[in-house]
Amino acid sequence: MTSRHPGVRALPALLLLLVTACTTGPSLENQGDVTAPPGDSKHLTIGSAGFTESDLLAQMYALLLEQAGYSTRILSVTNREIYEPALESGQIDVVPEYAATFADWLKTKADGADADPVGSPDLGTTMKALRALAAPRGLTVLPPGRAVDQNAFAVAAAYAAKHRLETLSDLGRSGLPVRLAAGDECVKRPYCEPGLKKVYGIDITAVDPRGVGTTQAKQAVQNGQDQMVLTTTTDATLDDFGLVLLADDRHLQNADYLVPVVNRARAGSGGVRDALGKLNTVLTTADLARMNEQVDSWRRLPEDVARTYLENKGLVPKG
Amino acid sequence: MTAPPDDCLARNEWICGDYLTSRRGILMDATVQHLQLTAVSVLIGLVIALPLALAARHRRWAAAPVLGVTTVLYTIPSLAMFSLLLPVYGLSATLVVAGLVLYSLTLLVRNILAGLRSVPEETRQAARGLGYGPLRLLLTVELPLALPAAMAGLRIATVSAVSLVTVGAIVGFGGLGNLIYSGMNTYFKAQVLTASVLCVVIAVAADLLLLGAQRLLTPWTRRTP
Repeated sequence: MTSRHPGVRALPALLLLLVTACTTGPSLENQGDVTAPPGDSKHLTIGSAGFTESDLLAQMYALLLEQAGYSTRILSVTNREIYEPALESGQIDVVPEYAATFADWLKTKADGADADPVGSPDLGTTMKALRALAAPRGLTVLPPGRAVDQNAFAVAAAYAAKHRLETLSDLGRSGLPVRLAAGDECVKRPYCEPGLKKVYGIDITAVDPRGVGTTQAKQAVQNGQDQMVLTTTTDATLDDFGLVLLADDRHLQNADYLVPVVNRARAGSGGVRDALGKLNTVLTTADLARMNEQVDSWRRLPEDVARTYLENKGLVPKG
Repeated sequence: MTAPPDDCLARNEWICGDYLTSRRGILMDATVQHLQLTAVSVLIGLVIALPLALAARHRRWAAAPVLGVTTVLYTIPSLAMFSLLLPVYGLSATLVVAGLVLYSLTLLVRNILAGLRSVPEETRQAARGLGYGPLRLLLTVELPLALPAAMAGLRIATVSAVSLVTVGAIVGFGGLGNLIYSGMNTYFKAQVLTASVLCVVIAVAADLLLLGAQRLLTPWTRRTP
């Protein structure tokens, strides 16, 4: 059959045009955001990385910003690969981040997977590296507070009492063979198996790949299959498993302080900095652990837990 | 540390009344978002699929590329699809809709085409003999006769869209999928179960609704000889 309608040949292209024409560009409700003066948009989108602690921080940021006269909405996405480009482009304006982890991530993004990590146990060094990496991308890293969500190692309380262990150095000196429940990447990461062996001289006999701070990992230590588990400093469920943290007395762990990262063109103003800065002197690692527990174990709403906390601390009025 | 409250939320029960009361607004918003994403995607899919199916029916050379391309689209894993569309649409509901539209095309085009092809040549010739032009033939003879097959495709496309919407959770626009995803992360049984059940209810309700519409639109298929 001959083609009497040459237009038909262009049909796929036309369809593509149709789909994209209706759907690209800012929607009407967002147009105000795009044309607002740079630096201090009054409508801010706060990104959450979709896990409990990130949700809680996003909710607290939202409440504090609303208190300062901004209107906010929270967008929950699943991972950094998705929200970081959105933060650069201004679809997301504020994100709670972890200083050392985010610095390493940006370094990898800039220099490829083999890039040397820039995060360090020292907060000052980490922040300097992070800001140098973030600035060219139009991102501003606001000052860190007191709360830090680092990797941490826990052992059974009875085991610690029996061998008189309080720090990781104690464990190294004891010469005890230790089977470690952790993620399978632990064998390579400097803060995990290699660091425990080199810095603390701990005799790691094997890494049991049960994930970081998972229920199975903690149960394995509770019932004696493993001796130590890799978890985080904001884990509030250790008591439930009869576990205690061993102090990182030689500072093996990176400075994963919580920092708000903002899109400079849209939220780089003093107003945002001051509003979020209120949290810095108040929020502690233990506070965060308690809030995580209320959401993860008691299944309260992150929004309610965040609001109650800020109200009790006098950062937002009770209402 | 204060003791945990003693309710079905803290005990993590599968069925939990407190969950329903404390999350009523959230469940409602998620359900509305789920319905909107599904309906918009399927409708846009239908608007695009119809001309494609007609082109494939009436221009023999167009059939292979149209069916080939839409089938290949269907084989793209949903996570990859949304990631591929991300640079184009950014983090928006449009991204999810665009992905779902592309998925719905395979089912809709194939079924509409099957319906059109099932119209007997004798019927078309009889209509032409009565003086029907091409447009009138299409609108009053071919399309009505193609309806049962096309509606079957629409039903499958709708039900699969209801389940695919949940993948939109990776960009924060997944309707009930947002709740399922966050519930899975924290072993929140009541949330996973409630949101999943609502998904199934939506799928079944949409299917029944379309089945009813089909019966109303094609009364002749029920007429007994």
